[in-house]
Amino acid sequence: MKRNYIQQAWLVIVLACLFGAALAAVHAGLGPRIAQNRLNDTLSQIPTLVEGAARGEPLEIGGRIVYRAVDGEGAAAGWVVPAGGQGFADRIELLIGLDREAAQITGLYILQQNETPGLGNRVTEPEWRARFAGQSALAPLTVVKGRAGGAGEVEAVTGATVSSQSVVGIVNEAVARFRRERPEGAP
Amino acid sequence: MNYLVSVLLLAISTALINNMVFHYFVGNCPFIGVSRRVDTAFGMGAAVTFVVTIAAALSWIMTYFVLAPGAPLTAAVLRLVRPGSTAVADLSILNYIVYIFVIAWAVQLVEMYVRKFFPPLYKSFGVFLPLITTNCVILFTCLEIMKHVPVAGAPVAEPWGLDRALIFAFFAGIGFLIAIVLMAGIREELEHCDVPAPLRGPGITMIIAGILALAFLGFTGMDTTLARRLAPKPPPASAETAARPAP
Amino acid sequence: MSERKNDGPTPMERFLGGLIPENPVYRQILGICPSLAVTNTMEGALTMGVAALFVLLCSNILISLIRPLLKPHLRILVFTLTIATFVTIADRVLAAYLYDMSKQLGPYIPLIIVNCVIIARCEICASKQRVFTAAADALGQGLGFTLGLMTIATVREILGFGTWFGKWLGWRVIPATAPAHWSNWVIMILPPGAFLTLGLLLGVFNALTAKKEKAA
Repeated sequence: MKRNYIQQAWLVIVLACLFGAALAAVHAGLGPRIAQNRLNDTLSQIPTLVEGAARGEPLEIGGRIVYRAVDGEGAAAGWVVPAGGQGFADRIELLIGLDREAAQITGLYILQQNETPGLGNRVTEPEWRARFAGQSALAPLTVVKGRAGGAGEVEAVTGATVSSQSVVGIVNEAVARFRRERPEGAP
Repeated sequence: MNYLVSVLLLAISTALINNMVFHYFVGNCPFIGVSRRVDTAFGMGAAVTFVVTIAAALSWIMTYFVLAPGAPLTAAVLRLVRPGSTAVADLSILNYIVYIFVIAWAVQLVEMYVRKFFPPLYKSFGVFLPLITTNCVILFTCLEIMKHVPVAGAPVAEPWGLDRALIFAFFAGIGFLIAIVLMAGIREELEHCDVPAPLRGPGITMIIAGILALAFLGFTGMDTTLARRLAPKPPPASAETAARPAP
Repeated sequence: MSERKNDGPTPMERFLGGLIPENPVYRQILGICPSLAVTNTMEGALTMGVAALFVLLCSNILISLIRPLLKPHLRILVFTLTIATFVTIADRVLAAYLYDMSKQLGPYIPLIIVNCVIIARCEICASKQRVFTAAADALGQGLGFTLGLMTIATVREILGFGTWFGKWLGWRVIPATAPAHWSNWVIMILPPGAFLTLGLLLGVFNALTAKKEKAA
């Protein structure tokens, strides 16, 4: 039986070629659309994260992607840094908006989270995220239970201190890293 | 963060917090089918752990060198065929097909190798090996690793080297082993119980799994707390200030 | 038509059989992984069901067409290759046209490759039957699978979020003004709720079948 492999396997080979062609066609047809969907996910948030920004340009810094937010004329408006880390239940992925000098946080957006519905997932609410805007990026932020007063303090979501601390931890680490690794001079 | 600490955290979060069976729901067919007795359940769990580690290594290597956009081997072939081309070779559409065949191949390889060189080991879990190809745990682990393979020019949230991928896969297998052995232990006792007729078999198994999943929810948050405790004392300052009590 | 007599069930019987008497979720207990993982919303359940139906139908038709050429010892290889290809196509189509769903379902779409329902239908039915029969069988099993997922999702979404097709149609079943302990049982959205719902529904399904058999 083993005398002729081709005779045995011709069907598999023909099918593999056919399927290869079909997949190539699917990829050629849908690939650009999928890439656009993926990009939109991040890019559509950039104007809400950095004041005056119209669009973002991806750059690679230290093996990670960051976005340079630019206004309508192409002048730099700030930075958008994607970051992620472990939350209470699962990974949290978020975008951090920074001003031109990376000295102030201008906005925060949660791309993906799987926190407890009704408690931890309230970190996605605009009211909570708004507490990050305007904070200094020079020193790490702290989470406080109850009313936040001082500079650099973020009020925890009621009943979800761990989720809040996770988000703040991710922001602190990403901002510190970005400030270390960002290109020297004006953006 | 210290390398050892991050490895420990990855292991805990994979095996306990994000347990394959109770959090991701993968591997439920063997979890229900092969959990009548503790020794067979242990054999199945061990076989899965073994195969998933090997399949993960193979799929990481395939993804990194061949499948990912701009992978070195594919790029080299492209330059050979079409010198001077600036296109980025991207074979990621073949990911799923390659993974499933890598898994099938790994299963065959492991079976032959274990039968030849470790007959006692083969006796304990050899019979489960052919069943493993269609075990979702393995494919799921490969897919998770796919998301973390470092790619030039595309955002990967948390790039894993081969080491992290292997640790993740091994502890994914351990998580499955823990789940199936726990379940088998409970089901052995259950044989002496009077279960309502319609719930007998899969029905009661699912309900017990639900209660176990509830118990495993108790592990959530363990790794974030541990990470804070184990974080190095001086910088990064973030860990230090986050632990400071509220005024 | 003497051939059909030996074939067992007619295409129509096969189609109806897949819906309830041979339901993949409740009777054969196959494909448990997606029935637990994607059923916390109706949208997820429906998308998953349709994707599995597409893969099942296409691979059953193709396998049935090439069945005279199949070599017995290579058939599993051919099945896997076929299923993996159609799953990749389904995955890409979802990523292009229903990006949100594709993100929500994540790895569970590619996991259709190892869904026992599909490879079992290829083996039991498609590799032995004519195209029309195989297609009817795939439709029945696929719809039965979708039905199974949607019953679980109905229970979980209504109890967990108080809605039904909340994201697409925005139907509220439990009014937002209901007392707190009547709405949003977080546990139903979390993994334990999936196991408990499926376990109890299995019990209900078995009890109903037993009653029907007794009456007959």
